Amino acid sequence: MTLIATRPGPGPERPYRFPSVVRVPVGDGLVVAAHMPGHLIAGASLLLDAGASRETAGREGTATVLAKAIEEGTRTRNAAAYALALEGLGAELSTSVDWDTFRVGVSVPADVLPGAVDLMAEAARTPKLDAHDVARVRDDEVTALRMDWAQPGPRADAALRRDLFGAAQRYGRPMHGSPESAAAVTAEDVLAFHEQWLRRPGVLLVAGDLDRLDLAALGAAAFAGTQGGALAVEAPLDVPQRSQRRTLLVDRPGSVQSTLRLGHRSPHRAHPDYVPNMLAATVLGGAFTSRLNHLIREVKGYTYGIRADFATTRRFGRLGVSSSVQTAVTAPALADTVGEIARMKLSGVTPEELEVARTWRAGQLTVEMQTPGSLVSALATLVVHGLPDDYYPALRQHLLSATVEQVSAAAATHLRPQELTIVVEGDAALIRDELTAAGLSSEIRDVDDR
Amino acid sequence: MSVSPAPVTGTGYPWPIENARLDNGLRIVVSEDHSAPVVCVNLWYDVGSRHEPDGQTGFAHLFEHLMFEGSTHVAKTEHMRLVQGSGGSLNATTNPDRTNYFQTLPVEHLELALWLEADRMGGLVPALTQETLDNQREVVKNERRQRYENVPYGDAWLRLLPLLYPPGHPYHHSTIGSMEDLNAAALEAFTAFHRAYYAPNNAVLTVVGDVVPAQVVELAERYFGRIDQVTEIPPPPGSHLTGQAGEPMRETVTAAVPAPRVYIAHRTHPFGTAGYDAATVLATVLGDGRGSRLYQRLADGSRIAQPDYVGAYGVDLAHAPAPIIATATAKDGVDGKTLEEGVVEVLESLITEPVTDAELARAKALLTTSWWHQMSTVGGRADTLGRYATQFGDAGAAAYRLPGRLAVTAEDIADVARTMLTPSSRVTLTYLPGENS
Repeated sequence: MTLIATRPGPGPERPYRFPSVVRVPVGDGLVVAAHMPGHLIAGASLLLDAGASRETAGREGTATVLAKAIEEGTRTRNAAAYALALEGLGAELSTSVDWDTFRVGVSVPADVLPGAVDLMAEAARTPKLDAHDVARVRDDEVTALRMDWAQPGPRADAALRRDLFGAAQRYGRPMHGSPESAAAVTAEDVLAFHEQWLRRPGVLLVAGDLDRLDLAALGAAAFAGTQGGALAVEAPLDVPQRSQRRTLLVDRPGSVQSTLRLGHRSPHRAHPDYVPNMLAATVLGGAFTSRLNHLIREVKGYTYGIRADFATTRRFGRLGVSSSVQTAVTAPALADTVGEIARMKLSGVTPEELEVARTWRAGQLTVEMQTPGSLVSALATLVVHGLPDDYYPALRQHLLSATVEQVSAAAATHLRPQELTIVVEGDAALIRDELTAAGLSSEIRDVDDR
Repeated sequence: MSVSPAPVTGTGYPWPIENARLDNGLRIVVSEDHSAPVVCVNLWYDVGSRHEPDGQTGFAHLFEHLMFEGSTHVAKTEHMRLVQGSGGSLNATTNPDRTNYFQTLPVEHLELALWLEADRMGGLVPALTQETLDNQREVVKNERRQRYENVPYGDAWLRLLPLLYPPGHPYHHSTIGSMEDLNAAALEAFTAFHRAYYAPNNAVLTVVGDVVPAQVVELAERYFGRIDQVTEIPPPPGSHLTGQAGEPMRETVTAAVPAPRVYIAHRTHPFGTAGYDAATVLATVLGDGRGSRLYQRLADGSRIAQPDYVGAYGVDLAHAPAPIIATATAKDGVDGKTLEEGVVEVLESLITEPVTDAELARAKALLTTSWWHQMSTVGGRADTLGRYATQFGDAGAAAYRLPGRLAVTAEDIADVARTMLTPSSRVTLTYLPGENS
């Protein structure tokens, strides 16, 4: 047996096509749709400017409780009848709340999409929101958050967020609330949130075979009984500077791994360095082949995986690095991680690294956009960030033409290893001395966000 | 749009399928679809943790990791870099039945993917080093810690398997394996493993996407055709089980969990049979969605279970009766015993209260949507075709699964419930909050 030794080169490149985008105004609302001919599944999502940032201080979790409460019956049918009607079509509501948006979506065989959108709108626009039901959903959400916070991660995330943004700022508190803040949410809060933010038309996103779908009819169902225009977006936050690193220790006795979260503030989504930042983070920790994953997993064997990214929203961004490492190697894993961030800031990326990163990011625009669900998400990005219909082909070109100088300059500007907040959630008794000895920061503070 | 499937309900696979076989026994399945310029290359090797002898648990999965660490013409870590550097996504998984490797790429990189897969099928052993093994052993141990040990209830599946399948049965132990066996793993065991099982005649190559079948077969011949077949692939250990388990099995775990949780499991039929189709629909009626019996009766109804954590599902194992598992987590103030009785009562309602037309229609509609979601990517289609070719000798049999599920009647479900969900064959795993035991 002789294997072929020479690696084959690529065949002729096929032209990149993003599905054609259609925008159909319906009443005060807008339908934005992507045409995917031949697809049997179609997706629709109601996108509302009612994200977590709209929540009242101390009542974080209101939008999430509302997202669950809308399935507890509508003005015309009770919860069981609603579930049977919706699931009888093969549909389930997918609801989500992030900083910028509140979304309710369905994804079903295209022939039943109109019925599923009718039911989706019924829940989103005319939920019953009976006070007793809402209180019960709130209690269940508190329990669910406690379940979630018993896992490693959420407490470390909360500690990092609070340190980066400050507890006084909405972005300094957990996006979906904490068990405590959710417990403080009242039925009136939920009703008021619905009244104020979910009775505006918003945008209906649709992806599927548009030859089989009537967008105006879908829009009419989604926007029935609503009024109002788009809301103004507040200005992005400044990126404050820090003078030194700090380490926060979240105790999780008996933990066999340490959960690591490192981060600092960074620019918002519309910043001109968005693309070079994405590529720098890809080289640092955004792909399996990244520097961090190579060193911490493939060379050292400290972890199952490590990731880094610049997360961005309309108003802020942050660099985040996350991993779980075996307890015994907590300090060396952190030292290596901080060291890689510093090295990239100092010496930038290599041509070989950048070639992989930009080709991968560009190729993912083809590979990861096969389904109506992924196209609905892509349309949401266009709408939330006010991007044009040809954004994705332009982004692809932007990625492929990024230079080593541009990406290295972004790394030099936007990676700030001296200003990192390092959060370690693990068995404090086992790791405290080692962390102190490692000297990664002058300050090690115990925090508890439980 | 030369191949654009019509919305057919009579088949679960309305795309063309071409089959071929190389002289060395490699089976090739190609399904053409020109709607997007992407391709998925998927390999199913007919080897999983069921093949592992005593003392070598976790080896099939650890081996899967080693397949990304270089081969004769591919340097360590180069595999990932080449696929990602082509814009592709890749991964691999191991379960009791099999190991699969898959990558979706812009279609101009099809040949690269075939070259990479052929190189590690035919040339892994020369590149395998002690250093690589030691590194990936640590990675896998961290995977075990992260996914199973360090999260509440994370080891439920590890505990359910030995309760469901008797000692000596190939499904008795979990795919992740034990720390002891992983620590003891020697390099020679892995070279032997590759020689025994990573053979063209023990694999199915499936390619789905913007391709022409004849060209795929020609390329497969070029890259895989020169790999020798293995004449004596060891037969898998016997996995036959006669009837239901004869006595109930029970384990109660006191651990650092936030609330009591119960898992009730029963063996049913092997995946791929009409009986398992009925069990699949039964599990959907029982525990999928807000309209399911468990949700309606325990999360809504009596309100003893947390709405986000109630459900039922089958685990699609093909080489012995596959389990269906129902689970619920207690609301505040509800004890484990009350919760377990509640779940058992709903489970047994499937025997005493016939499934209604509305329940059946709901379950089938959800399964239909789920099927078409699986078919909506070239990766989902390739993995499905690879499964049917590997496990049933016919990729085209994938088309019958959805119609098979849609043909299930209320009587079929009652029959599964009556014969399979018996107290004498029940597995009960309960977690109670407390100090780690």
